Amino acid sequence: MNYRVVGIVVLAALLAAVPSVASEYWLVLFTQILIFGLLALSADLLLGHAGLFSLCHAAFFAVSAYTVAILQTRYGVSTIPASLAGLCMGTLLAAVFASAVRTRGVYFILITLAFGYIVWGVAYRWASFTGGDNGVTNVPAPALGGLQVVSKAHYYYFVLAVLAICLASYRILTTSPFGLALRGIKSSESRMRSLGYRVGAHLYVAFVISGFYASLAGVLYIYYNRFVNPVAASFPISVEAILMAIIGGTGTMLGPFIGSGIILILRNWVSGFFHYYTAVLGLIFIATVLWAPNGVMGLIRSWRSGNRGEGA
Amino acid sequence: MSNFAIEVDNVSKTFAGLRAVDSVSLSIPRGERRVLLGPNGAGKTTLFHCISGTHQPTAGRIVMFGRDISRVSENGRTTLGMGRTFQISNVCTDLTVMENLLLGMLGTKSQKWSMFRPVASDSQLVGKAVASLKEVGLQGRENEEVKYLSYGERRQLELALALSSNPRVLLLDEPCAGLSPSERQHFSKLVSGLSREITLLMIEHDIDVALALADKVTVLHRGKMIFDGPPEEVQKNTDVKEVYFGRL
Amino acid sequence: MTAIILQAINGLSLAALLFLLASGFTVTFGLMRVVNMAYGAYYLLGGYIGLSVMRTTGSFELAMLVGSVAIVILGFFVDRFLIRPIGSNHLAQVLLTVGVAFFIGEVCLAIWGGDSLKIQLPSYLRGSVELPGGIYYPKLRIALIAFGILTATSLWLLYHKTQIGAVVRAGVDDREMVNAIGINVDRLFVLVSAVASFLAGIAGVVGGAFLTLNPGAEWDILVLALVVVIVGGLGSLEGAVLGSIVVGLLDAYGRWLAPDFSYFVLFGPMAILLLFRPTGIFGKEH
Repeated sequence: MNYRVVGIVVLAALLAAVPSVASEYWLVLFTQILIFGLLALSADLLLGHAGLFSLCHAAFFAVSAYTVAILQTRYGVSTIPASLAGLCMGTLLAAVFASAVRTRGVYFILITLAFGYIVWGVAYRWASFTGGDNGVTNVPAPALGGLQVVSKAHYYYFVLAVLAICLASYRILTTSPFGLALRGIKSSESRMRSLGYRVGAHLYVAFVISGFYASLAGVLYIYYNRFVNPVAASFPISVEAILMAIIGGTGTMLGPFIGSGIILILRNWVSGFFHYYTAVLGLIFIATVLWAPNGVMGLIRSWRSGNRGEGA
Repeated sequence: MSNFAIEVDNVSKTFAGLRAVDSVSLSIPRGERRVLLGPNGAGKTTLFHCISGTHQPTAGRIVMFGRDISRVSENGRTTLGMGRTFQISNVCTDLTVMENLLLGMLGTKSQKWSMFRPVASDSQLVGKAVASLKEVGLQGRENEEVKYLSYGERRQLELALALSSNPRVLLLDEPCAGLSPSERQHFSKLVSGLSREITLLMIEHDIDVALALADKVTVLHRGKMIFDGPPEEVQKNTDVKEVYFGRL
Repeated sequence: MTAIILQAINGLSLAALLFLLASGFTVTFGLMRVVNMAYGAYYLLGGYIGLSVMRTTGSFELAMLVGSVAIVILGFFVDRFLIRPIGSNHLAQVLLTVGVAFFIGEVCLAIWGGDSLKIQLPSYLRGSVELPGGIYYPKLRIALIAFGILTATSLWLLYHKTQIGAVVRAGVDDREMVNAIGINVDRLFVLVSAVASFLAGIAGVVGGAFLTLNPGAEWDILVLALVVVIVGGLGSLEGAVLGSIVVGLLDAYGRWLAPDFSYFVLFGPMAILLLFRPTGIFGKEH
């Protein structure tokens, strides 16, 4: 228990120190890692806790980013109401797409994939509203009250603060009776039903909450990126978020962020000298499934239990 | 209010043309311990699934304490006071024993929706869970993941789970299946020690265990009820002898 | 009126193309419980190979043959060395085959570049025919519809009138049973998967002439095929036929009547259908 507290303090101190020691390149990359880690974490609420494999989380991410971008650039709405509207739109969409919880297994995977494509299709084809391929550009820097967050370091701290709140709420959520019920459903749906749980209702609510976290990642993303185009809603973003969660380790809080770090650092490095990064990403998918299905956290866990002896 | 805990009214269940349960009617008074006998494929588990709501009967009604529950969902029936075990242990194997039990105790309460407080911080709930684990003989195993439990221990947990919602009607589907003779004895002692407030409906293959526990016995054969009466008479009944004991 | 009929033929020709891809997906899922997301990439690669063959030899038939056989070989190796070892976990299958698709897509990009390419038609498929009622319509599309009907009929006959088909159907319903009666399931899987890859390769060459080949086309076509499969029901050949027609027509009329929201026209009805029948029209629980 003490190790955990020490670990959290050390990690927080390291993260807080990033802007003062890292170059701007790394600072920007770190911000990106945190944002996509949050997206991966949101998908992992369904995957790691409830056992649902969603392929449409980019949709909530993108819809909230588009909402903020359009409100800010076209209607001059200020940061806070625009962000709240973004969160609302993303979460509302999740409340609609959550109807997918009527299905399970392959059907759930395929339906969420198709849902994700609707949003991508609208972003891409409804050019008069979404800007089509070019998207929405020139989103201003966020302003909280009278305070403009212009510097990269300030925005990093802002993201870090939001994440701290997110992680605390996520932790409480997953240890609450509701979170426990999700893990119960993942383990045995029929048993949970006979214990009195309306499984569908629990999964529905979990889906919406997961969509909320994804929307939050979308808001953080738009102020980081300052523009958004249909790529944000595309299938690769959804599936990459899942991959990040798996590489890091599903059902954990740290895992999705580790996964996000691995993928994004690798991308930045590989793209420097190799034009076909997606091919490398494809190989990472294959390698993860074949050799590391439990991710980094899984490796750490088995290493630790190996040290303590079996069944300790 | 009705004097019957469970009334099965002319229930049939057909699977792809096969009548697994064929117009069965039975009434179980409050507090009775009823054992359901019958050879394999007699339709006992299917009837159970119809009563618990896992299956929707093709025809007929299920009534609990005078209320028609035919249209009530499986989880709704649990909330109304029904608990059950499964023939093949069905517990959440990825969770710990304690977590399983907490889920069981929360299942019929609105508290199961709580999102703002860790479940482990509810010391009253945890205390109750520890007590009921002790009752079924799983004390000290609270933090063990269920996948590391032995087969017999899973059966014990299964019973603890079924009891965790304080059911008024308890359905036990072959609770002793696959247990060693000593485990069986332990188990039948557990079951006979249950409160008489609980109405018990139990499928059991072991005749001795069944007859020792039962107030009344119902025998199914090929989906039809062929006997319904006190345990002393079941072994004398010629129909039953023919289809059941005749097979031994 | 003419426009309505023209759009119907447009829709049906897309339906024929989608059927080629969806039938393979649905039968391999039904029999092997494998979700292979790489079929879109198979389609694209088959198309590109066909394109190169067409450019060098000028023979459309040879393009179809080489394109599809190449995909059969590729599909065999992917099945044997990547999909088989991971077992029946759908999540792993999806991630793995998405990885394969990403890889193939990038290889195609590296070889054939990022521009939209089209396969040159042989002379006998160029131009239009006059349909009754004085409507002129491209020969290729009519040929595609005919080809789709031919494929659907042969698959149906194979599925319902031959012994192999009977075994496959039995396997879709109950895999243990086929194992139990001593049929070499492995060989059956290889065969069915080869047929599916073959159809995907053919679809690519035909699609390369009918639509265009470009990076991203693999996902566009895969998603349409998946909607076909979802609507029709996983594992059902009849479902794939019906689903293809529904999706083809919805797509054609959607693009025509509401171009900005054509995806919506396509997916909206699907979502509503699924609320009432979560396993599609002909689907069973899996």
